[in-house]
Amino acid sequence: MKKRLHIVALSLAAAMVLTVSACGRDAGSSDASSGTAGQKKVTLALSTLNNPFFVDVRDGALAEAEAKGLSLTVLDAQNDATTQSNQIQTDVSAGTAGIIINPVDSDAAAAAIKPALDKKIPVVAVDRAVTGATVTSFIASDNVAGGKQAADALAKAIGEKGKIIQLQGTAGTSASRDRGQGFTDGMKAYPNIQIVATQTAGFDRTQGLDVTTNLLQANPDVVGIFAENDEMALGAIQALGDKAGKTVFVVGFDGSADGLKAITAGTLTATIAQQPKELGKTAVDAMADALAGNTPAATQPVPVQTVTKDNVADFS
Amino acid sequence: MTTATPAGRRLAAQTGRFVSANGALVGLVVLCLALFIATPHFFTAENLVNVGVQASTIAVLAFGQTFVIVAAGIDLSVGSVAALASMAAAWMYADAGLPGLLALLAGLLTGLVVGLVSGFATSYGKLPAFIATLAMLSVARGLTLVISDGRPISTPDAISFLGSDIPIAGGVTLPVPILVLIVAGLVCSFVLNRTVIGRSMYAVGGNIESARLAGLPVKRVLVTVFALSGLYAGLAGLVLAGRLSSAQPQAASGYELDAIAAVVIGGASLSGGVGKASGTLVGALILAVIRNGLNILNVSSFWQQVVIGLVIAAAVGIDVLRRKDTRH
Amino acid sequence: MNLAPVLRLEGVSKSFGPVNVLRQVTLDVHPGEVLVLLGENGAGKSTLIKMIAGIHHPDAGRILLNGEPADLSSVHMAESAGIATIHQELNIVGSLSVAENVLLGRLPNRCGVLDRKRMRRAACEAVARIGLDVDVDTPADSLGVAQQQLVEIARALTLDARILILDEPTAALTGSEIDDLFTIMDELRRRGTAMIFISHHLEEVARIGDRVAVLRDGDLIDIVPASTPEDELVRLMVGRAIEDHYPRRREYEGAPDLLLEVNGLCRGARVRGVSLEVRAGEVVGVAGLVGAGRTELLRCIAGADRYDAGTVTLRDGPVGKGNVGQAVMRGIGLVPEDRKNQGLVLGASVVENVGYATLRSTSRAGLVDRKGQRARASEVTKRLSVRMRDIDQPVRDLSGGNQQKCVFGRWALAGSRVLLLDEPTRGVDVGARVEIYEFINEITRAGGGVLMVSSDLPEVLGMSDRVLVMNNGRIVGELAAEEATQDSVMSLAVRDLDVSTL
Repeated sequence: MKKRLHIVALSLAAAMVLTVSACGRDAGSSDASSGTAGQKKVTLALSTLNNPFFVDVRDGALAEAEAKGLSLTVLDAQNDATTQSNQIQTDVSAGTAGIIINPVDSDAAAAAIKPALDKKIPVVAVDRAVTGATVTSFIASDNVAGGKQAADALAKAIGEKGKIIQLQGTAGTSASRDRGQGFTDGMKAYPNIQIVATQTAGFDRTQGLDVTTNLLQANPDVVGIFAENDEMALGAIQALGDKAGKTVFVVGFDGSADGLKAITAGTLTATIAQQPKELGKTAVDAMADALAGNTPAATQPVPVQTVTKDNVADFS
Repeated sequence: MTTATPAGRRLAAQTGRFVSANGALVGLVVLCLALFIATPHFFTAENLVNVGVQASTIAVLAFGQTFVIVAAGIDLSVGSVAALASMAAAWMYADAGLPGLLALLAGLLTGLVVGLVSGFATSYGKLPAFIATLAMLSVARGLTLVISDGRPISTPDAISFLGSDIPIAGGVTLPVPILVLIVAGLVCSFVLNRTVIGRSMYAVGGNIESARLAGLPVKRVLVTVFALSGLYAGLAGLVLAGRLSSAQPQAASGYELDAIAAVVIGGASLSGGVGKASGTLVGALILAVIRNGLNILNVSSFWQQVVIGLVIAAAVGIDVLRRKDTRH
Repeated sequence: MNLAPVLRLEGVSKSFGPVNVLRQVTLDVHPGEVLVLLGENGAGKSTLIKMIAGIHHPDAGRILLNGEPADLSSVHMAESAGIATIHQELNIVGSLSVAENVLLGRLPNRCGVLDRKRMRRAACEAVARIGLDVDVDTPADSLGVAQQQLVEIARALTLDARILILDEPTAALTGSEIDDLFTIMDELRRRGTAMIFISHHLEEVARIGDRVAVLRDGDLIDIVPASTPEDELVRLMVGRAIEDHYPRRREYEGAPDLLLEVNGLCRGARVRGVSLEVRAGEVVGVAGLVGAGRTELLRCIAGADRYDAGTVTLRDGPVGKGNVGQAVMRGIGLVPEDRKNQGLVLGASVVENVGYATLRSTSRAGLVDRKGQRARASEVTKRLSVRMRDIDQPVRDLSGGNQQKCVFGRWALAGSRVLLLDEPTRGVDVGARVEIYEFINEITRAGGGVLMVSSDLPEVLGMSDRVLVMNNGRIVGELAAEEATQDSVMSLAVRDLDVSTL
């Protein structure tokens, strides 16, 4: 029995080492420990890298860090609030100069960054807010405004009348809440548009495909679909087939690379472009500002933009 | 009932036996009837085809899982392996320049190899299956992200074909995912029932020590079940990617639990030795029908999760009660 | 009996689905008496005691305790009414210590914190009372089956039960352990405890019993004094007379070729340099105490365990270490001691269980020869007269004797030349036992050889052509069938017992 436990422990350890070294390679270019001496070490604690959006946030941040002469350590919490808390704790102990956090959970993040705040280490929150603690600066896209813009774009495409479907993101997330709220608020201006179904597709392309397919069974006469992110919108387009962009118009959110391609192809009518790289860049700028002894603005909204075929070239 | 004819009683008894032997199937029929009554949009040919297509990924994963569960193991890695296999295939095509068909085969091979690793870890390495495949869940997902750098990769036509419709006579089309589901199910059933290795899986799952002392190659059986599970996961991942024409880094995450649920709803026992491909198919269809029905009925997304959980608990609970009833 | 019965069953019936397991059983148990329940497997003994123990509930009739109708609707109710049961399947939690097992469910504590001192003291007392010499802190799974059984008895004793049910307690015990148990039972009898005792060993009936209740197919056939002659008891049980309890016949007429040769086999402290041979047409018995290394020896030969040194050679050459598959293909068949956990896959059908050893050898291109396997299984189960509904019935539902016949049937199909039998008739009733002996005769008549380990001395003496005695990992003597007696075997088995290395 003891021997078996031993083997388990060894294998787990081996697996961890493998994982860690793989991660290390991933973020190697920016790893503080291998960075040039004299550079200030800053931690970028992301909720996940399992999503192109946050990969873009990372890329924007890395590029800006290099420009500003900061050494950036990228952490991936894999959507686990506890993992994120542990990672931050470790980096604070290791003497990081500043923390840029993209919280897994807005509430849990407050406790995670408290040790850093106590040590007067600047903390910048990006994309999602930290509730219950005052961060140095909060960088985010305006999701509610974006939802309204999406409503306007969809209304324009369908001629301000007809039945539409709303695909929600993961239930309970702030992005889903804010975008959905902005969208329904925006739709109040169009009394001839009727939202016939509101269903979640978990921000996931496959689910977007399946849920749209199912909803079209019950509502074959819809003329528009709003998806709270591009992944679900692309799934919906898959479900619509030839109808996408011709008789049924789809509006997404995020302005991801695949989303922009779909706009160029004409299947996606509009997307509300967040600018993830801009988010990452602005966050690093705010951090650099704080490290230089200045006081950056408490909230810095990164504008969202409605992307259509007319202006897609500016974003690709 | 006292006035029933002997033939009527016989029919009733036969029905009773059928119900108790096919609890999940009866559950599926009841579910379909309820949806048929609740909405006119459920019981249409088009929608039923949709259910089949939507069930395909989970069903194929669950067929693979059936081998493992019959042999008293568990494979938690299937969702991640599906993602890894599809991503590997797409990457081979897009970045390594392999022809589409070879890339597809490379994807299947990836699933098989990952399964073999889990198999060797559990049989020769003596790791508990739960731990070995939990580790693999993480490793495979991580490798998927490493390969893709967290971004989707477009798939070649050979893989997209797996998600497409093929025309048969008169404008009627047959979705390839359903075809894959049928073939995978038949192969699963054939392996379990007709082959030496399949029958050995039941023996190993029923009592590993008795199987060993009867001279059955227990370790080889364990390696085989995980290898098959990996291969099926690879296939499921390719179908999933085919439907989207894109390999997604976060594809199929959490699907392992759906696959396990489908197998157990289908009458298999997590303690091993029991399970059938047909039951697993019914289990996967039940999950797909619930999701499809709840969408059509526009049930709030918060409640959907509650309903799905309750149906899983009810399906398995009824099965447990039924078994208890037939044994003394 | 002038005392009022402490327990009375009145017209108790029970059926499971369409099967009537017990019909209209009426019987009394008095304080200070040992009532023996006798009957073949499936006669209804287990169901009867399970109703008394609160596991099953009678469909008709009632159970009275001290003349009052008793509510035995749960095991807990039965226990608090003073009924303790030692079941055939041990109820030991292997990972817990002996002391914890003895006091399981009643661990002495202060506000939920375990009082180790009191627990150890109470447990020590209990195990000392039955003469069990173990450290109460050792985990129970480090003990042998026999000692675990005694731990269970110790647990029942700490309950101060008025009615003690012992379901085949002697099946796993050796001679001296059985003597110890009977001494304890005698003492309990003096203290007025009523006991219900189940055993397949008829010679124990007269030794310990007062009265014998004989069940057959769910009916109470008769209640007779324990002094009733064994042949009469068997006739009551089986419904016919059994002429010969050990019908050993040597009918092989070919050359006595060497089938199995074991040389200098060593495995840890349990098998220490064992050499033996088995020739065509003979049954070699292996006697010895529990823990003498007999099971380990058989498992090494069968490839179930690896061994440290020595060789195992068959007619066509040596067999690889720890390779059951190869041993099976080369004609070795092991009938393990614990058929439920090592011999059979209980949830699988008869046809599956009988066919495991031939699954591969009869296959074509990896496909099972389903028709052939079914035909062969039907044939062999008929030959062994396995009583079952059909070959698709789960082997779990069969009685012990019929389950054991399925294990034998597997090796019959595989054409095994060397059978290694470990306690082949444990928990097997008289009728099936004789059928198994006849099958052993059939194997040797066809030129096979049998190596049989058994703690049932009359069986070893009655069925073996030669008897090897094992003691502390070594073969300490060989006796020809004619010269072997219980005394000569036992004196070898207990001689020079090197306790320190156990």
